[in-house]
Amino acid sequence: MSIARANRLTPYFFMAPAVVIMAIALLYPLGYMVWGSFKDWDPSQSIGEAEFVGLKNYVTLWNDPNFWESASVTLRFAFFVVSFEMVLGVGLALLLDRNIRGMSVLRTMFILPMMIAPVVVGLMWRYMYHPTVGTFNRTLDSLGIPGVDWLGQHALTSVIIADIWQWTPFIFILALAALQSLPRSALEAARIDGATAWQQIWYIKLPLMMPVLIVTGLLRLIDAFKVLEVILVMTEGGPGLSTEILALRISRTATEFRELGVAAALSNYLLLMLLAFTLGMFGFTRWQEARAAKIRTADEEDA
Amino acid sequence: MSQAYEKQNPAFYALLAALVFMSVGPVLLMFTNSFKLDVDITSGTSGLLFFPTIQNYETALCDILWYEPKHLEFCSLKFGGAFINSLIIALISTFLTLVIGCMAAYGLVRFRFMGRDTVSLTTLMVRMVPPAVLLVPVFGLWNNEFCLDRDGLVGGAIRDTFGGRGDVCLAGTHAGIILVYVAMNLPFVIWILQSFIIQVPRSLEEAARVDGAGPFQVFFKVVLPLIKPGLAAAAIFTFRIAWNEYLLASALSDRNTRTVPILIVNNMSEFNVEWGVIMATGMLLAIPPIIFTLFASRQIITGMTAGAVKG
Amino acid sequence: MLRSLKTTTLAGVAALLMTGTALANPYADYEGTTLIVNFPAHPHYDAVMRILPEFTKETGIEVEVDQLPYLKMRERQTLELAQDEGEYDLIAYVVFSKADYVYADQLENLAKYFMNPRLADPNYDADDLIDGYVYNIGFAGGSKGYLEGKTGSLFGIPYGSETSVLGYRKDIFEKHGLEVPETYDQLLELACKIPELEPGMGGVASRAASGHHASHAFLLHLAPLGGRVFDDQWNPIVNNEEGVKAAEALKTIVDCGPEGSKSFGFGEALGAFLNGDTAMFLDTTVVAGQIDDPSKSQVVGKVGWALHPMGARRGSQTGGFGIGIPANAENKEAAFLLMQWLTSKQGDKLVALAGGNPSRFSTHADAEVNEKFPHMATFGEALEHADPDWRPIIPVWGKINADLGTTLSKVLTEDLDIQEGLDGVAERTRGVMDEAGYYTWN
Repeated sequence: MSIARANRLTPYFFMAPAVVIMAIALLYPLGYMVWGSFKDWDPSQSIGEAEFVGLKNYVTLWNDPNFWESASVTLRFAFFVVSFEMVLGVGLALLLDRNIRGMSVLRTMFILPMMIAPVVVGLMWRYMYHPTVGTFNRTLDSLGIPGVDWLGQHALTSVIIADIWQWTPFIFILALAALQSLPRSALEAARIDGATAWQQIWYIKLPLMMPVLIVTGLLRLIDAFKVLEVILVMTEGGPGLSTEILALRISRTATEFRELGVAAALSNYLLLMLLAFTLGMFGFTRWQEARAAKIRTADEEDA
Repeated sequence: MSQAYEKQNPAFYALLAALVFMSVGPVLLMFTNSFKLDVDITSGTSGLLFFPTIQNYETALCDILWYEPKHLEFCSLKFGGAFINSLIIALISTFLTLVIGCMAAYGLVRFRFMGRDTVSLTTLMVRMVPPAVLLVPVFGLWNNEFCLDRDGLVGGAIRDTFGGRGDVCLAGTHAGIILVYVAMNLPFVIWILQSFIIQVPRSLEEAARVDGAGPFQVFFKVVLPLIKPGLAAAAIFTFRIAWNEYLLASALSDRNTRTVPILIVNNMSEFNVEWGVIMATGMLLAIPPIIFTLFASRQIITGMTAGAVKG
Repeated sequence: MLRSLKTTTLAGVAALLMTGTALANPYADYEGTTLIVNFPAHPHYDAVMRILPEFTKETGIEVEVDQLPYLKMRERQTLELAQDEGEYDLIAYVVFSKADYVYADQLENLAKYFMNPRLADPNYDADDLIDGYVYNIGFAGGSKGYLEGKTGSLFGIPYGSETSVLGYRKDIFEKHGLEVPETYDQLLELACKIPELEPGMGGVASRAASGHHASHAFLLHLAPLGGRVFDDQWNPIVNNEEGVKAAEALKTIVDCGPEGSKSFGFGEALGAFLNGDTAMFLDTTVVAGQIDDPSKSQVVGKVGWALHPMGARRGSQTGGFGIGIPANAENKEAAFLLMQWLTSKQGDKLVALAGGNPSRFSTHADAEVNEKFPHMATFGEALEHADPDWRPIIPVWGKINADLGTTLSKVLTEDLDIQEGLDGVAERTRGVMDEAGYYTWN
């Protein structure tokens, strides 16, 4: 084999293992799932033995109020989680963007919740929320305030709080990194012009951070749809369906109700929803960028 | 850093302390509770006055202890075995993901193999797939399709050497779980490493090539050492996912390949909420991540920011 | 092939060595076999773990136990039993799995083992096993398809028989001069009176968490109040008068229960009782062991036991587990020997003394067992009222159960109207049953 030919093949050698593995264990399964969603499929059958039922699983789900409730829980969870975390995380970053002693300790300690297994996070919070022996109700009790039914009536809120605890630091750290890489000259100029702290934040820092914040928010949004273990351990989706996000419903449909076909159809709905979201976000940012560019050119023309 | 710190209002330090307490508090709570007897945990007496006991850890680790703990009549929780499974799976899948991901990232950056935009869009798309979505197909494929016939050549050889019954399937083996984890983590690792490889000056590689090094030698001897920080960050994130994942592992593992998260969820059995033991197992699972956090926080932050700020 | 040759030679050698020394030992052929069994994480099976070394000592058969929470155990079994060759030699199964496994031909019919003179112990005395449980857990193919009857046959043996009993705090009842409730009316009245008498204490701790727990708690009241899920033609009647009454009873009990009742699973409900947060506990008999364990309980010696209160009839639950041999097991005969040993008079007594739930009348009447566990006589009486049909055991039950449990949880937490909720369940159940073919002959 000539050297030139070997060189031409090199990129393929470098890429091949990754491509093969992702094809076998990611893309093929996704295709398999689409195929499976058209079948009446029981876990004790192989897919070949299952009966082909066309779109029946999709129709069943579409008419199932529990599916819609689950979808709405998922959306509410994702919305509240991402918006609270963005506000808190960015707010803290703006507040703490100073050169003070202890900042590195804070950052280190802040990473901890993200690194710990979701299963463990779930069990810690399940303990703290426990109606009688849990930390929160005991504290309330000793203050003479009646306890709160955390994982009962307020289950969704409680689950959201746990997620905020775990993931606000992620946004904080990214926002802080973005803040610290802002061009110093712009801030100096603003300060010399006598802009107040609020004006600096509102007109300079936030707009300059925007690209990073959008990516961060998008990453968090994607991850919010992946949450499963924390909720599984804390509430198992209850009470009622109040915390049963779609990911959890997929796993219950597959293992508890033993309907793999329906679970596959459910997975496809979730994927479609996510796809719509991501594309929507992409489209929105593109549109905003285009608009900003137009305004800028217009400004320049005015000037 | 030698620069002077700005003096701040004490309220800031109070805020800092409160934040640190909030993020570490639950972990500390779990830590102290893991040294308490169940009666102490549920009785509601004050949190700090108790006799610490390692009984919960003895219960958890009973299958690998060299002595038999006195308070146990039999060892039901096979935590030691699960811990070893977790280690095997997490370490091997981290190693494989890094090697394969690194090569792919290098191929993408250096050989203009595909448009970079297409790749980052694709990786983002694949990253979007929640593990729950993979549950059904992976369960079906690993149990029914990715199998070797027990009477066939390879399958027969495996059954003769390793024992076991039935056809040789990916489900229930370490390899089966590792394969999913590698595939799940690859997009993320490729994405992060790309941003590091771009920064490696081309001139260095060309110099090596002039000295007669082939493309693989250039990759291993020149590029790899230069992107060590990126590798460290990618390794920690891959390890984290492989170490912590529950859902897919629980669908794919059998009696001998169960990992720690599965054991913890199983142990929250409805008949016996033994908080002490649960906290002890949780603590044991959390130790590696805690160590990473304390000793490699800079790499973790690099990894996170490389993913979002630069990507 | 090679392996089996090796084991047979080994067994042969062992047999040769044995003939000189031992008398006829039915276990000799299986000495050195390792059985892999799948048991639930459950107090009864914890007791089993304590007596298994005895079995190994006596027979030379090793046992390796895979203990899982019972819902997980069911998932695992679904997968294992479907394969051509499975890992497990003996499994414990929940009552409602019986329908699935028998229907899919995954459990061995036990007739051929009891017919085999080399395996069956002539002193087994099967008549001593508690009838309701053998019908409920062991039989299939008789009346309604899932009970005993002329067309039925045996697929498993009950092991870990539970029924429901009322545990109450003797000290609290004495303090306020209360009577132990005999009927449902008295029970419900007391349930709400106790929080008034003892501020901070709940009346009855009950499971209520969404899903299986809520459904279980509801069915617990449905049978004694005279209701059923289906009539004889498989029409869902869960929304009739009795059904509404049972749901109202559940709501009353949960509303007057200890703090946080609405999200209680079994563990939390029991925890509340162990902690002294509630005066009564109406659930399974398995908890007795924990209530007397000072490392877990703060109410040791303060608890009395009574029969499940009566509504329109006596009807306590039949729960618990059975053990059976998977059709794809490797060592079926040795597994049968273990099964027979565990459920024999000797094994049943051993497990009872170790804190398990015996499955034989004779064990409940045994003097030694009663001396160690004085509540055993009451439990034995309760078992006589156990209702094998308190919950339907049909393959689609899992789905109906989940729907029922979710709806009831909404009734409890979101104030969904009871009649409206149950009507919805009945309607959806009818659809499920229709699809499964239960109305083909109507």
